[in-house]
Amino acid sequence: MPELNLDKILASLDLRISEVTLPDEYDQISKDYLGKDSLLAEERKKLPTLSNEDKKTYGKKLTELSKKIESKIASSKKQFILDTFQKKEKDEFTDITIDWNRNEGSYKHILSSVMDEVVNIFSSIGYEVAYGPEAETSWHNFDALNTPDWHPARYESDTIYLNSDLETLLRTQTSTVQIRHMEQNDPPVYIVAPGRVFRSDQLDATHSPVFHQLEGLAIDKNLSFTDLKGTLEYFTKEFFGENIETKFIPHFFPFTEPSAEVLVKWNDGSWLEILGCGMVDPNVLENVGYSKEYKGFAWGVGIERLAMLRYKIDHIKNFYENDIRFLEQF
Amino acid sequence: MKLLRSWLQDWIDLTDIDDTDLSTALESLGFEIEDYKLINPDYKNIIVGKVLEIYPHPNADKVRVTKVDVGNKIYEIVCGAWNFEEGAIVPVALPNSYIKDSFKIDKRDIRGVESNGMICSASELNLWDEHDGILILDESFKIGSDLSKTYNSTDSYWEVGVTPNRGDCMSYLGIARELSTYFNKKLKKIEKPLNPKLKPVLKVNSGKSKLCSSYQSIEIENISIKDSSFLIKYRLSNIGVRIINNVVDYTNYVLHDIGQPLHAFDRDKLYGTISVRKAKEGEKLKTLDEQIRTLDNDDLIITDNNEPIALAGVMGGFDTEVTNETQNLLIESAYFDKVSIMKTSRKLNLISDASVRFERGIDRNIQAYGLKRFTNLYELDENIQYSEISDSSKQTESENFITFDTSLIESILGQLIDNKFIASTLKSLSIENEIKKDTIKFKQPSWRYDLERPIDLIEEIAKHYGFNNFKSTLPIGNNLNQVGNYWNVRKYFIDKLSLEKFNETQSLSFTQKEYNEFFDPDKEGVKVLNPIDQTQEYLRTNLYYSLIKIYKFNYDQNNFSGKYFEINNIYNNSTNKNYKKIPKQDYTLGFLVPDNNSDINPMQYIASLLRKILPGVSFEQLSKPGFHQNNSYLIMADNKLVGHTGQLSYLLKEELDVSENLFMTQIYLEELNFVGLNITNYKPLSHYPFIKFDLSFKVNRDLNANDLIQEVENLLKNNENSIKIFDDYAFEKTRNLGIRIITRSYEKTYNEKENTEILNMIVEKLTSKFNITLNEKGE
Repeated sequence: MPELNLDKILASLDLRISEVTLPDEYDQISKDYLGKDSLLAEERKKLPTLSNEDKKTYGKKLTELSKKIESKIASSKKQFILDTFQKKEKDEFTDITIDWNRNEGSYKHILSSVMDEVVNIFSSIGYEVAYGPEAETSWHNFDALNTPDWHPARYESDTIYLNSDLETLLRTQTSTVQIRHMEQNDPPVYIVAPGRVFRSDQLDATHSPVFHQLEGLAIDKNLSFTDLKGTLEYFTKEFFGENIETKFIPHFFPFTEPSAEVLVKWNDGSWLEILGCGMVDPNVLENVGYSKEYKGFAWGVGIERLAMLRYKIDHIKNFYENDIRFLEQF
Repeated sequence: MKLLRSWLQDWIDLTDIDDTDLSTALESLGFEIEDYKLINPDYKNIIVGKVLEIYPHPNADKVRVTKVDVGNKIYEIVCGAWNFEEGAIVPVALPNSYIKDSFKIDKRDIRGVESNGMICSASELNLWDEHDGILILDESFKIGSDLSKTYNSTDSYWEVGVTPNRGDCMSYLGIARELSTYFNKKLKKIEKPLNPKLKPVLKVNSGKSKLCSSYQSIEIENISIKDSSFLIKYRLSNIGVRIINNVVDYTNYVLHDIGQPLHAFDRDKLYGTISVRKAKEGEKLKTLDEQIRTLDNDDLIITDNNEPIALAGVMGGFDTEVTNETQNLLIESAYFDKVSIMKTSRKLNLISDASVRFERGIDRNIQAYGLKRFTNLYELDENIQYSEISDSSKQTESENFITFDTSLIESILGQLIDNKFIASTLKSLSIENEIKKDTIKFKQPSWRYDLERPIDLIEEIAKHYGFNNFKSTLPIGNNLNQVGNYWNVRKYFIDKLSLEKFNETQSLSFTQKEYNEFFDPDKEGVKVLNPIDQTQEYLRTNLYYSLIKIYKFNYDQNNFSGKYFEINNIYNNSTNKNYKKIPKQDYTLGFLVPDNNSDINPMQYIASLLRKILPGVSFEQLSKPGFHQNNSYLIMADNKLVGHTGQLSYLLKEELDVSENLFMTQIYLEELNFVGLNITNYKPLSHYPFIKFDLSFKVNRDLNANDLIQEVENLLKNNENSIKIFDDYAFEKTRNLGIRIITRSYEKTYNEKENTEILNMIVEKLTSKFNITLNEKGE
């Protein structure tokens, strides 16, 4: 029975494998050790000449060797590919601390974003957005809102007028939309009106001739002061977070009674005013011809103030200069 | 209103109430706290002393040497002030004491005489502003006592806001009345009977005008003008009132204490009947500040023998003012009409503590009490003789009871409030009332102009009940998650344009006439009557100039060339479709694209962007002022005019010193409907492989590429197609247009033959219809 030096063959295979530099070389190795010109194939050719018993024994031996070679090549090839990729990955390193792009922000103006957020909060409890003109009549801005003709707010030092008889002006408050909306719609009314208002102030760090308010109005048959409280507490929680503390202190507005200011408790423990509100004065409802069975509440919130509080913006001027360095931050 | 704890204590016992509780009470009652601080003496170890002797300094004539008794010892002190005599009681800073700003006082040699400290002035102790010399104390100050123990030297101070409807709270009495209700404590009565020994010399008469319903006066004789008492000076100076002399200080004190403004005349400068009337047109009066005021028929004046002597409630006259020589006084205490005083004081820009109180409305029945308080204070300091009060008040109608149903309270406040609470609150506030099971009757007190209707009383009840003691309930409106068309359209464009990396801007609505006229020479701008400055005289008729300004600002300041948009109103003076009386205002989107050398022509970019975001859009070329003659288009949506787009004219680009070509668009948002904007026509996906042709044609310069695309779309209308221009190259008079056609059948896979048939059909149709020629490959 021929005797093949198996160890020698396997040792030479190990040597070949250790010299591999490219994955394709494994094909040649397979061919050399298992192919038709291989030593193994030569030995197989001898099999028919052997006795039955030897044939069986030697054949088995050759098959085992062939399997061994096959698995050795396969596992080595797998390891070789794995090693190659691992080495490639180890050599690849990215410095993710570099920002190649400008910090571009949302492209939306922060006042728009804040207005939209406030609108969404009220929309989620059933308020629609109403719209009214910015250039207004004095009647809508003052008289209909129960503001007497001698009231200081009417002075030209505060209000921007558009004609010499002081009959038209730029609205000083979004409360005008209450009147416009009620003139055109029957109750019940649940609206918010975000928009621009105007005062006779030069643009500087703390003043602007243009700023934004959001007016809210709810008129229905059974609305009361506790509803006003619940609604505005819902808003402060949605906007500032569930844990915000809110308090109501009495105030005066010509067009609401009782009137209140809403304060929230800030991180540093101080209380900050964020909006004015109240039960709509019966005179206002009478001015728009609503029947006495309807009543409700209204509020007004300054959008710049909300944005300044939340984002710690110190100059109101920033909102209207449109410096790209400011716009990009939001 | 500025409050001292020690002064409030006159009216209400606060001993067991700390500052925090007091602050909470004030705020809960509607007095916004604008400032709060503790007052502590700004000095240490200052002793009350008595000057025993004064003699000249041996080496200096500007100072004197004194011997001062400080209780247990007598010290020699050098003093530079001359306003005191032997016997004066004065504050003394002995060695090892501190005056204001922690300045330490020690023994000091003053030109050869050792001075054991110093005698202090009020300003050296930071008490009040008084530079006339050292502070002279009265006999009530005990020699040897620590000055800080002789009065309320530690105190608390609040500055609170009083809302315009609550004129009655512009005094200590008014605030104390509210606090007494809050703390359930008695409001003290401060009143001593007068003991008049004189008959008034002058007659007073409140006149015919309804604007003065009460005019009362008292005459005081043999007074001397001097400093007020320590207490009065301490209190007034700590609430920011300037110390003048006993007459002025006491009138000021009464004003702050009970809210009644008083005016002091030098009685000996008055001759006839004192009366009140409206001024005649052009009548003149020299006021205290030595200005000659020309009056008109709106001004209310005080007269003497019909000649003006004072502007009622606003300012006294120069000729009748109290001076250092005044011996006899006439003190006026009157009620003047709110609006009349407001008009005069605003017109003349004379706003004083008195005018502010008249404006908001003082108590109608407090005039005599004001005179009593003044006289009571004065007689504490000085032996004076005074007349009885002359009263010329008009009969005014007494207030009627107002009645309403108790149920109204719960209906408005949302919570039942106990009748007992209501009764005790109204009683404590001195509001006359009658509470039955189902009805409440009340009468307006003479100081409460804000209580005219049931709702006014309900507010009062709610306030004293405490707003924060009400429960909270959340009603849900009838428009759940429906913001409506106006807001939806706005959001639609903000979302679309921010995705395209346009920066949203907010700019002021004001501009100059010439900037409006760059683009809208034919529109009449809206002029502002009282503009903030010359650059803000008009409302803008367009958003174009604002956008250019922002573009240019960031280009020049930040080296940044970007795309911008703004959504806001533009205005002009044509008639307003929707509203009467007010100018036309259009809610408008404006956007700007600079030509900053990107691959795409900005005009094409804008057109394609608008095709994407405005369904049914079409363009109609039309020249407009301020724009490029050809690159200027009206924007139509479903054949309705909705806006304009175009390139800034080269002339304006040069005039405005802009570096890049700018392309600007305006869209009138009120013309658009959100439902219409949000249409997307879904196209089903074919499951068969695509065939693709890239074709290049020689075409005329004025051909619209979209016409070719539409034609191909039409030819392949039963397929799923993607047809795009991939190349547009013009050179001299030639123009090559590359069109890429990708198409799929919904029914089958095209074979080679069908593929060729389709290609030929397209080429044949396009070349014949548009008179163009196909470029052979490689051409």
